Amino acid sequence: MTKVVIDPITRIEGHLRITCEVENGVVKDAWNTATMFRGFEIFMKGRDPKGIWQFAQRICGVCPTPHAFNSVRAVETALGMDKVPDSARIVRNMMEAAQLAYDHVLWFYHLNGFDYVNVPNTLNAKAATPGLKAVQDQVKAVVESGQLGPFANMYWDHPGYMLPAELDLEITAHYLQALEIQQKACDASAMLGGRYPMINNYVPGGVTQMPSIEDIEYYVSQMSMVKDFIDTVMLPDLLAIAPYYLDLASYGKGVGNFLSWGVLDEKSQDPYDRLFPRGGIFDGKLELQKVSLEDTRQYTKTSWFGDGVGAGKHPLNVGQEPIEFTNLPPIEGEAFPQGKYDWTQAVRYGTEDRPMEVGPLAQVLIAYLAGRPEAKKLVDDTLAAVGHAGDPTVLLSNLGRVAARVIKAKINSDNAIRWAEELLANIGKGETTVYEELDFTKTGTGQSGWDAPRGALAHYTKLSDSKVDTYAAVPPSNWNLSPRDDKGVRGPVEEALVGTPVADPEKPLEILRTVHAFDP
Amino acid sequence: MEHEEMSLIPGLSRRDFLKSCGVLASVIGLSGPMAAPRVAKALEQLAKRPAIVWSCFQECLGCSVNLLQSRKPNPANLILKQISLNYHEAVMAPAGSQAEKSFRETVDSKDFYYIVEGGIATGIPNACTISGKTSMEICKDTYQKAKATIAIGTCACYGGIQAAAPNPSGSKGVTDFLKSEGISNPTVINSPRCPGNADDTVAILLYVLVKKALPELDSQGRPTFLFGQLVHDNCERRGHFDAGEFVEVFGDAGSEKGWCLYKVGCKGPVAYAPCPVTRWNGDISWPVMAGGPCIGCSEPDFWDKQSPFYEKAPGIKLPGDITPTQVGVGLGALTAVGIGAHFIGQAATGRLGKGGPQEGDETGSDEGGKR
Repeated sequence: MTKVVIDPITRIEGHLRITCEVENGVVKDAWNTATMFRGFEIFMKGRDPKGIWQFAQRICGVCPTPHAFNSVRAVETALGMDKVPDSARIVRNMMEAAQLAYDHVLWFYHLNGFDYVNVPNTLNAKAATPGLKAVQDQVKAVVESGQLGPFANMYWDHPGYMLPAELDLEITAHYLQALEIQQKACDASAMLGGRYPMINNYVPGGVTQMPSIEDIEYYVSQMSMVKDFIDTVMLPDLLAIAPYYLDLASYGKGVGNFLSWGVLDEKSQDPYDRLFPRGGIFDGKLELQKVSLEDTRQYTKTSWFGDGVGAGKHPLNVGQEPIEFTNLPPIEGEAFPQGKYDWTQAVRYGTEDRPMEVGPLAQVLIAYLAGRPEAKKLVDDTLAAVGHAGDPTVLLSNLGRVAARVIKAKINSDNAIRWAEELLANIGKGETTVYEELDFTKTGTGQSGWDAPRGALAHYTKLSDSKVDTYAAVPPSNWNLSPRDDKGVRGPVEEALVGTPVADPEKPLEILRTVHAFDP
Repeated sequence: MEHEEMSLIPGLSRRDFLKSCGVLASVIGLSGPMAAPRVAKALEQLAKRPAIVWSCFQECLGCSVNLLQSRKPNPANLILKQISLNYHEAVMAPAGSQAEKSFRETVDSKDFYYIVEGGIATGIPNACTISGKTSMEICKDTYQKAKATIAIGTCACYGGIQAAAPNPSGSKGVTDFLKSEGISNPTVINSPRCPGNADDTVAILLYVLVKKALPELDSQGRPTFLFGQLVHDNCERRGHFDAGEFVEVFGDAGSEKGWCLYKVGCKGPVAYAPCPVTRWNGDISWPVMAGGPCIGCSEPDFWDKQSPFYEKAPGIKLPGDITPTQVGVGLGALTAVGIGAHFIGQAATGRLGKGGPQEGDETGSDEGGKR
């Protein structure tokens, strides 16, 4: 039995430690620990509801836009606004589509890529084009300078790197190209929102202004380039590397429960009608279930909060006090986490207290089960490409998580320009209202579920006396990186880690693969 | 696969490189047609790429995401050709003990520049730990070994959002934290805004590397060449403020005409930042251009002091009662702004440079002036 601790888990947003018990080359047990606490729900109390979304979007600087959306929407529903003006709905979709596009590109190449692509091995490749040769020369210059910078000290000699040198080189080139592409998506967002990250055009009641025709055209041109990249580079890259890593289908199964609140509103603004519709999947049975925002519950017996803080309560009744910090076992030594070991609270769903996996795999499976033609075709094509035609259960794995992110990126970018066209059509019809004034003196409780790129995200708020009485956010990593609940049931990442092979406990590359597949 | 259609490596041509140096040349007081080549030469003469250690403490990663939006140089060139980013948790390949090895090797060499993103958790030290060490331990030790320290974003400068009342974790900016550890006069360059801005980061870094000196700082530790002017003074909607033309409600006729956002909460009259001049994301837009009020994110404690964000900033008299110049001088944070600083600020940010005689050769921005 060996203890493997990875702290910090790099190439993620936030601070994370993973502790694994490895026996006979396989993970037998696992614990995830978020090692940062900020206290948003404490300092958001008592603030002005009109500006609370500016606080909320700072929960995540990688995905501020869905936090902004959920925050304005939670306030709107608390004040009795069922729908926003249609043109505001479309502007918000355009913002979200740009954010999703940049995020998935960044994840595929820059956060996840090094787990599969061996950068020093590019020097062994026969460069097929002058462009690839230029990239190879640049890598060579970096290696020969002796200053490897961010590439230093990785497990590059690990036997788990399977790609031929030519493919390593090609994808390293795309890593650099993708740095430009993510800028194009961020620029599309910034042109409407003022900057990226941390946008400035949302407000409860709609958006601050109707974009100009020029801005919409700019958005279309940027997102067209992003779509071209996803179609001609990113999706082909997935299909090119997948055959070398088919073992990814054999581990990382996880809890088999999936949840998505849905994202990207159609005209109805009905969450079951979204481009990625709302829904749930329970106990590994690929059947679509309805889900409710009110069925989220939180537990704190293993978190650094008093046991009674959670105890299965609704997010609005939980809070983040009192804090009861207890030390983690040192990285070295034999001790494993016990009792309280995480700043994250355990989030569970429904009366069965199910741990739920959230993220593109959930979103794509739910769209597939809902019969969305784009999802159906892409999933079926991918299954055929990896030799599992007609068997979507093979996607309940790390392979499925990686593939689903690329599939989702494609569906999203295919539709980004449709939103822009809808907005132009509304302008043509004179339907240019983007804001309705709300009565902020009203008392009420509101909620919004709208997925972030990395999965189900919900905000809840209670307003009274023109102030935020209570605020609660349940981000995707609170679902995926839940610690054990009060009954001792593992969270989704912990469960997915069990069974992960570890060829060399000194170089736990496979553990990184399982963790990164969730985009924590 | 059609890869050939796009530039595989975003090459920094000689011309692009000179362009990026053009801004810097004006910042550090070099002018005339030879300024940019001189800065380029100075950078190329560095024996090796300067090593950077970038710590993420209590943060949302927004500052790093904006760093990826850098254009001059773009992130690929920055990382591969100009700096050696030895430690940045969101970017680096290695994890765990191997990441820690990269950290130790660089920090122990004492030959590196230190960039901090995020606040330091001092009330609950374990509210931020990396590799079992608290943000307090890491920040103090690394600061003492670094050649220079830059705080990026309002969290690292002043504590930021998690320091909003009641500051549950006792979050502090780097300078305040170091002072509380008994370091009486810490040398930290503050580059606030929320998120921290890529162009600011690059400009400050290049300034320190080329001039081997600290830029002039205001009383809040901010370089005056970037933060010497009020947002209000450079705002393209300033004329509407002076003319008494205001947006009353979002989406109204004034909103369509791009009138002043002061009445819907704009904090431009009290915030010192170059947003209207350098703008964001490669010069394409900035928060006021999106029709939303400035939230004053470059100011210390702005989450408490500049909110509510959608209510009028207190204590500002409207046109007719006060001259525009008095608005600029009379309000906001304490800064060492004089006429000279204003001038340097304008030159640095290209405002005077665009089409102007002193930097007319290479400083202009191709992407500028979209609207």
